[in-house]
Amino acid sequence: MGLFLKDINLKGKTALITGATKGLGRGTAIAIAQAGGNIVAVGRNQNELDSLKKIIKRLKVKYLSINCDVNNYNKIKSYILNLKSLDVLVNNAGTNIPESFLNVKKESLETILDVNTKAAFNVAQLCANQIIKLKRKSGSIINISSIFGLVAGEKRTVYSMTKFGLEGLTKGMALDLAKFNIRVNSVCPNIVLTPRTKKYFADKKYNKYVKDNTPINKVVTISDVATAVTFLASEASSMITGTSIPIDGGWTAK
Amino acid sequence: MLKKINLKNKTALVTGAGKGLGKACAIALAEAGAKVIILSRTKSDLDKVSKIINRTKGSSNSFVCDVTQIEVFKKILQKITRLDILVNNAGNNRPEHFTKVKQENMEYLTNLNMKAAFNVAQLCSQKMVMAKNRRKIGGSIIHMSSQLGKVGCEGRNVYNMNKFGVEGLARGMAVELAEYNIRVNTVCPTFVETPMVKKFFKNKKFKKQMLENIPLGRVAKESDVATAVAFLAADTSEMITGTSLIVDGGWTAK
Repeated sequence: MGLFLKDINLKGKTALITGATKGLGRGTAIAIAQAGGNIVAVGRNQNELDSLKKIIKRLKVKYLSINCDVNNYNKIKSYILNLKSLDVLVNNAGTNIPESFLNVKKESLETILDVNTKAAFNVAQLCANQIIKLKRKSGSIINISSIFGLVAGEKRTVYSMTKFGLEGLTKGMALDLAKFNIRVNSVCPNIVLTPRTKKYFADKKYNKYVKDNTPINKVVTISDVATAVTFLASEASSMITGTSIPIDGGWTAK
Repeated sequence: MLKKINLKNKTALVTGAGKGLGKACAIALAEAGAKVIILSRTKSDLDKVSKIINRTKGSSNSFVCDVTQIEVFKKILQKITRLDILVNNAGNNRPEHFTKVKQENMEYLTNLNMKAAFNVAQLCSQKMVMAKNRRKIGGSIIHMSSQLGKVGCEGRNVYNMNKFGVEGLARGMAVELAEYNIRVNTVCPTFVETPMVKKFFKNKKFKKQMLENIPLGRVAKESDVATAVAFLAADTSEMITGTSLIVDGGWTAK
């Protein structure tokens, strides 16, 4: 901490990250650990949870893994309510099945709503209650939203519906949790280059679509998003709540 | 994975740097390693800020300048060899009910908050794009906006008009300057403990009313805003452009 410049520092804090095994969730777990935070990683793949453990342990912070599907309410509830320490939630688990509106399948709608909306709500509620129960001085919840939480995109009707919803949830939660000094914000990344999206970028048309829509002529990296999330998790942003940080190279400025 | 707020080898210009937020931003940027050029109308204020920056082993250069005197600003800019960051901060407010706003106050505020803000940003951008390696090293312009660039407030109609305008300017600039890898964002603070706000808060009724509107129940500190500015100035935010970082304790989430 300088005179006016606050550090992005999470020493002594514990962060729970859902969807922590891959892509953004994994990157964010590593970034938070680099800032000194202890990690509770939630994911469904034990091998990946174990490989993440090796990376996190090297950063000399505590690591706990929870092998659980966030859709399994009772199971995730019992894990969260047993945590001895919790200050930060990175509400990251999410999915997408791009289909044009007229052809969205019933089961796609169900799947996306279950994970992106219902599980996101449930995990946030459980974690907020636990942070309050543990009488933490402050808390920070970061919902991983998307540019499609701010604007529409082709074949993104269900995804946009869930992410716009998450933006609303963020603001509502921010108001209800302010009196507990728990801040709630979202980050809205452009299409990030991750193992999952690599195959999309291989398609020339798609690549051009992203480039043409991104004034800053670069693809968003996991590190760009993980850094913003860690900033929001830390006291460096102690007056920032109920808002969104688009990390989109200008996509939504147009 | 986690990027640090590091401004080594960067030169930043801060307007209105003699007091309040501008002073805090200048010091924070210096703490992050930037060489800082500070402008203010009052020499004694500049000297105090320079002293603080020197004490923290930072580097600064100061110029007495009223930014509404654009020819004076131009001459100062000619003396500067490089520029990577602009904190377009100089601004003022004279609260009056809409029906009672005096013509001279509207002129004064608009000339400072909009016209000078535009001119300073344009001249600095012209300087920044001249650097041959700009695309590679990037640049960042941060406009000091306000929560009142997002929502209305009693007695703030001119300030609202000015700051909503700056929000529009930031988006337009972001789209046009993206090709040079110059990012443009705003910071939107709630009431901050500055000399300007302390004056308003002498009115106890006003103070109570304002605090009731901040869900976190406290005003922002200068360091909250200065840290947000430093985050936007540095590569920590290298894919963030054309947006607003709202530092308002939840004011605009309602």
